[in-house]
Amino acid sequence: MKSFRPIYTLLFGVAAVFFFGLAYPHHLHYQEQYQLFLFDSAYVWEIVRLPGGVADLLGRFCTQFFLFAWVGALIIGVLLSGVQLLTSRLMGKGWLYGLSFVPSFLLWLFLLDENALLGGVWAVLLTLLASWDFDRLPSGWLRRVLLVVAIPILYWMVGPVCVVFFLLQAPRPKGSAVWYYGVFVLLAVLLIILSHHLPVPTERLWFGIHYYRYPTVTPVLLWAAALSVFVLTLIARACHKWANASSGFVVTLCSFLLVSIAMGCLVWKNSNFKAEKVMQYDFMARHQQWNRILATIKAEKPNNQIGVTVQNLALAMRGVLVDHLFDYNQNGIAGLLPDVESDATSPLPTAEAFYQLGMIAVAQRTVFEAQEAILDFQKSGRCYKRLAQTNLILGNYEVARKYLKALQKTLFYRDWANETLPLLGDEEAIALHHEYRSLRHSTYDEDFFFSDHVTPEMLESLFFSNTDNRVAYEYLRAYYLLTGDRESYAKLLLRSVEQ
Amino acid sequence: MKKILYALFAILAFSACTEAVSDARQEASLPRIYPDYLGVTIPVNIAPLCFSMADEGASRIEAVISDNQGNSLRSQGKESVNFGISDWRKLLSQNQGDSLGVTVSAKFADGWRTYRPFPIYVSPDSIDYGICYRLIEPGYEVWSKMGIYERTLSSFDERPLIENTQFEGCVNCHSFNRGNPADLSLHIRGPHGATLLRHNGSPLTAYNTKTDHSLGFCVYPYWHPSGRYIAYSTNATSQLFHSADSNRIEVFDTASDLQVYDVEKNELLLSPLLKQDSVYETFPVFSADGRSLYFCAASALPEGSHQLDSIHYNLCRIDFDPATGSFGSLIETIVDAASQSKSVSFPRPSYDGRFLCYTLSDYGQFSIWHHEADLYLLNLSTGESLPMTEANSDDTESFHNWSSNSRWMVFSSRRDDGLFTRPYFCHIDAEGAVSKAFMLPQRHPRRFYQDRFLSFNVPEFVVSPVRFDGHKASRIINDESRTNFGVRYDNEN
Repeated sequence: MKSFRPIYTLLFGVAAVFFFGLAYPHHLHYQEQYQLFLFDSAYVWEIVRLPGGVADLLGRFCTQFFLFAWVGALIIGVLLSGVQLLTSRLMGKGWLYGLSFVPSFLLWLFLLDENALLGGVWAVLLTLLASWDFDRLPSGWLRRVLLVVAIPILYWMVGPVCVVFFLLQAPRPKGSAVWYYGVFVLLAVLLIILSHHLPVPTERLWFGIHYYRYPTVTPVLLWAAALSVFVLTLIARACHKWANASSGFVVTLCSFLLVSIAMGCLVWKNSNFKAEKVMQYDFMARHQQWNRILATIKAEKPNNQIGVTVQNLALAMRGVLVDHLFDYNQNGIAGLLPDVESDATSPLPTAEAFYQLGMIAVAQRTVFEAQEAILDFQKSGRCYKRLAQTNLILGNYEVARKYLKALQKTLFYRDWANETLPLLGDEEAIALHHEYRSLRHSTYDEDFFFSDHVTPEMLESLFFSNTDNRVAYEYLRAYYLLTGDRESYAKLLLRSVEQ
Repeated sequence: MKKILYALFAILAFSACTEAVSDARQEASLPRIYPDYLGVTIPVNIAPLCFSMADEGASRIEAVISDNQGNSLRSQGKESVNFGISDWRKLLSQNQGDSLGVTVSAKFADGWRTYRPFPIYVSPDSIDYGICYRLIEPGYEVWSKMGIYERTLSSFDERPLIENTQFEGCVNCHSFNRGNPADLSLHIRGPHGATLLRHNGSPLTAYNTKTDHSLGFCVYPYWHPSGRYIAYSTNATSQLFHSADSNRIEVFDTASDLQVYDVEKNELLLSPLLKQDSVYETFPVFSADGRSLYFCAASALPEGSHQLDSIHYNLCRIDFDPATGSFGSLIETIVDAASQSKSVSFPRPSYDGRFLCYTLSDYGQFSIWHHEADLYLLNLSTGESLPMTEANSDDTESFHNWSSNSRWMVFSSRRDDGLFTRPYFCHIDAEGAVSKAFMLPQRHPRRFYQDRFLSFNVPEFVVSPVRFDGHKASRIINDESRTNFGVRYDNEN
């Protein structure tokens, strides 16, 4: 009944696609916005020159498609299914078949973390692929020579996860253990030498440079997934007579169901749906889906900082912020324009509010700092786009051109960059552009200094330099209401009536 | 036989890649090229000046460089011209003290155009081995990937000395003694903060430069010519942002003092004259003879005041006795910029004692973010200051340094796009005449500078390759062990 196995793999893959497409789409959007894949030789070289670079490159290449969650989900589904198929091949037949899903489920668990990088999954997949290919080679000197050659190459391609390849080959050179472990020592020496020449801490060469966004964190789940393949093959070999005794349809189905249900529950339990909700708000703000935000907050009032910031922005954009201010959760004035923190995530929705208000220089600085705070030093397509826009609005055309030229080297931002480039320096075209015209009109006339904290004076200056700026008007009124400053509120109403 | 085959192959390869400049329209104008190398003065040992047409509409570019003796170099390319290093060196060495003529042709949709030739002057004054700089995004508080890099000036080779992928933190304030990398000071910020010091080629040591008697960590280092002392400032620095101004940000001090570190005795030499509460003192540098300490000083603002445009730094001087490590009793104002409502920053005396170069801006000390900032040259024998008009641009010129022979200056400028600083070089002759500045050459300059989203920060000349084991340095940085600076007060003042 071997023919049913592809169906189980397919079922697993489809489950993964639906999970990431339906339940976890904004985690994929989140991943995409913290990288910028460039079709550029210098960019590629920067990645592949480090151990694990090929897996990392493949991971980054695939992550750019996460802009479209369903495509991203499909990619993840295919990768996880690939790992399962290869594990199954390496384990052999038998009722232990269901366990071949364990590494893929562990990788699934790994990917629940928004800082887990797809390059790690590629590293495991390529390692298993190499092991499977190697298994088909006849034993003998050729195999040994290839082993010596394959280990450093594989190390360079996928990083230290390739140790699984080495372990999977361990039982093969029977009677030549000394020679075999000599290869391992050789690799270790190579790594120590390498550590003196590569710009990364030594421990990263042993545990992985770019499997995880935090450079100092070793992704335990990824390692568990990789090493589980070795453990499972050992179990399969140890129990092969017993395990292979029964490989009928029912037994295989039962083992598949048992593992799938157990691991599936684990996945569901460990899913961070709260974070998914926060990411959804950020996503909606990024794409200026004001009506969708209003519908979402109507169904469930946000109770987190980003959600409240986005909720208030959407209300202001629709001109109903003051009318509905107290219908929703507020976080004092921090719910309007929170102080900018030095991380990559929380400032972006606030930066969107700054941008829509016409505080272009503030938005620019906030986005720039958020991008700088990306932990693995990557750049962001979302941030590049906004930096190009703010520089264009502020008339810094050569800086805007630089960002746009970079975006021309991407797959999904290229068209936008091509459309925007002709606007640079073309004042008439900018004056006809609905977004840039109005934002130029809304921005500050008067220069003053500001720091990290938004003050009512900043909103007052913004509104009174252009009383058509209704978003600023909404925010200013909301600010007075939240601080209980009735006097200023009354004065504002009076002044706006007079004007 | 082999040589003939190679030659044939080279001819074939060359002819396959080049196109004859035919029916070219003769233009009366000079070509607009990137980088702008028209009429620049270059050192005899500089890397080839490869360039592109500024107009990206050109599909090909050809340049012929010829001298007065009938020698010439030709290069053609789609994006830029690219001269071989050995041919270039040969041509330059044959024309020291003379000029070269450059004829540029470019192919556009309507055919080839040949422009009026322009000269390049080859100075017999050589330039140092290389420069070191920090590469960093022009940011504010948060930093991404950065590092200290060394670039050879006679070729295009760049190599990292240390990058912050090796440790958690930021690296800045690299300094060498007159370009000699045997004396090195390097500051690390962040959780593993330290100052790495190397004196006379000794092993690197990590110091904690913050003492109970100083404002904070020692920054803006400058080596005494003897190598025994390093002048530092300690600054309580803040920043504020503009809402609507061409300058994005103001970086300013709310307090700052000066001190000199005695490398041999591990002592920070303090003087009450250089740590006055009512004065902001910063950017200390030693004179060429090591007997004076130049620095910038401004009257301190009242506490809480943000009248940043009223902070004007003068260039000042105090005596320094290298034998005893003691300071003079009088502070002399050398350039009274405050009286002109201007502000001096980054004083740098030439090593031959002739000049002092400084940056002049409208106010404040962090002229790096001031578009109006320009370079000025002070003649130390006459006391006359003049703007370095040939080297300056409409945009920011800020940090600068002298070559070891005091004939070349490297400085950072934002003129390229208004934001990302690039290194430029200019020649200063015996009379103080300043040549037009040229940008650091690159093999494919347009692609290189367009793709690099990093500023070249604090360019410093080095006279030889920097021996620096980044791996070892990062181990020292990541280690918690630090040597504390000792303190000695100059009691005479």
